[in-house]
Amino acid sequence: MSPVTIGIIGIVALLVIFLLRMPVGFAMALVGLVGFSCLVSPEAGLSILARDVFHSFSSYSLTVIPMFVFMGSIAFASGMSRRLYDAGYSLLGRLRGGLAMATVAGCAGFAAISGSTNATAAAMGRVALPEMKRYGYADSLATGSVAAAGSLGILIPPSTIFIIYGIMTEQSIGRLFVAGVFPGLVLATLFIIVVALVCWRDPTLAPTGAATNWKEKVSGLTGIAEALVLFALVISGLFLGWFSPTQAGGAGAAGALLIGLIRRQLTWQGLLGAVKDALRITCMVMIIVTGAVVFGHFMAVAKIPLMLADWVVGLPLPPMATMGIIILIYLLGGCFMDALALITLTIPIFYPAVLALGFEPIWFGVIIVLVTEIGVITPPVGVNVYVIKGIAEGVPLETIFRGILPFLGALIVAVGILMAFPQIATFLPSLAIY
Amino acid sequence: MSSKIDKFERFVHSLSNWLNWVAGAALVVMLALIVADIIGAKLFKWPIPGGIEMVGFLGVVVIAFAIAHTQVMRGHIEVEFLTTRLPKTAQKIVAGFVYLLGMALFALLAWRSYDFAHALQVKGEVSMTQEISFYPFVYGIAFCCISVFLVLLIQFFRAVTQVRQ
Repeated sequence: MSPVTIGIIGIVALLVIFLLRMPVGFAMALVGLVGFSCLVSPEAGLSILARDVFHSFSSYSLTVIPMFVFMGSIAFASGMSRRLYDAGYSLLGRLRGGLAMATVAGCAGFAAISGSTNATAAAMGRVALPEMKRYGYADSLATGSVAAAGSLGILIPPSTIFIIYGIMTEQSIGRLFVAGVFPGLVLATLFIIVVALVCWRDPTLAPTGAATNWKEKVSGLTGIAEALVLFALVISGLFLGWFSPTQAGGAGAAGALLIGLIRRQLTWQGLLGAVKDALRITCMVMIIVTGAVVFGHFMAVAKIPLMLADWVVGLPLPPMATMGIIILIYLLGGCFMDALALITLTIPIFYPAVLALGFEPIWFGVIIVLVTEIGVITPPVGVNVYVIKGIAEGVPLETIFRGILPFLGALIVAVGILMAFPQIATFLPSLAIY
Repeated sequence: MSSKIDKFERFVHSLSNWLNWVAGAALVVMLALIVADIIGAKLFKWPIPGGIEMVGFLGVVVIAFAIAHTQVMRGHIEVEFLTTRLPKTAQKIVAGFVYLLGMALFALLAWRSYDFAHALQVKGEVSMTQEISFYPFVYGIAFCCISVFLVLLIQFFRAVTQVRQ
């Protein structure tokens, strides 16, 4: 059998094992081990497994993941998500659907200090959902807005997906982070427009809220100020080349810790909870990344990425149409697979093809993040939806998915805008001075 | 038999919990080290010598020592949508098979990590700046793989027992 045939059998076997519910990181490592052993030798396969695991776990560049995850966990334990939501509420709460708009704004704010979609959805959902219930918002709008806006967590920097994409494609994490800023703001605006349109079509979904006075507005804004300071510290540090990505994450985590201590909001119990939370998420992400490294070695010796790149370049289609097909594959894959697993599995395969087609790697990273955002809220495997389901007890999954649909439209529009105007993503990175 | 499995399960869970706290301590130390390195480098022009390699070694502890507990909490990402549609017994049979695959993976990884650690120890390989030995961390990975193997073994026992019932 040719290496390519063994590679294709490996991909099919991996998908089957995924469907049997083996943890995706374990599955990628196992299939990678077996495939590499078949193509080279069992001794080489076993040897590369142990080495890949040690090198991934001890990689300094990957320690950026625990630091940014820890930063988000401490920010939540310090009550920053509550204060961001209050700030959004004091500004937008009076409008019809204002609480849902405040949720979107709060998610965008929390996304600036957290790098994960489910952490953002969980942090804001715990704060926003009880409020929206209290004010008589429809379950579909309440849950849909948190689940969808929570996905901003990976577009507005910091972002675990940008980190992993950056490491896998050897792109600057700092440039990727800043590339996400404008698209994140565009998407947050689109989400707010969606809330306004949905409430305009059916005013029974969301009553108008109580007015807030100037004092409340100003006091609410302090919640934004601390998040902005933290965001500025991390992103400007990366943008100006002061910090390595790991140092930026460390500075952000220490900053969040300091804010929690100064505000006297961070309890000992809260800190322990943040450590446990950060460990669980870090371990989950790192096992997938490590599994993907082992699987990537198998794919490399099977020559699948090269073959695919040659095939894609030879297609009688304009590059944008080919990109459309790649995006469609991601959208379909995102329906059935966890977003992180999909990315770690497919980036080594598709990236050479994307380069061969002449696309800008940073821009493609932003597109990947956008399609990942769609993946985390589409059935049947939409992680954010399950996170929100866990918080909004008694709300059926169908209601949450129904609530998400209009936001899904906004995400697809955002992908279209980014394809038509790539400068939205590439402008800021072009200004980076390092 | 059941009480022996219960006892074994308590031991394995307690072990994974302890390992998780070691990982937690390493995470906090990692943060402290990074912050100290930033302050040293930016304010006093004196970065911590070997700071980068120490952060890398702490990364091994943070991740490897947390795998077993994350597996106990079912925190590793799985694709659930197909198996949850199967009858309960079929779900348990599939789960048992998947646990066996996981056990095979971690047994092999424990064995080869042990071999790798031994080779590093014999060669006396150390990091470049602080000359910290690599091998204790690789032995640590091997030990953690055994603990994951034990967690999967318990989960396998539970799945098989439920199928029998």
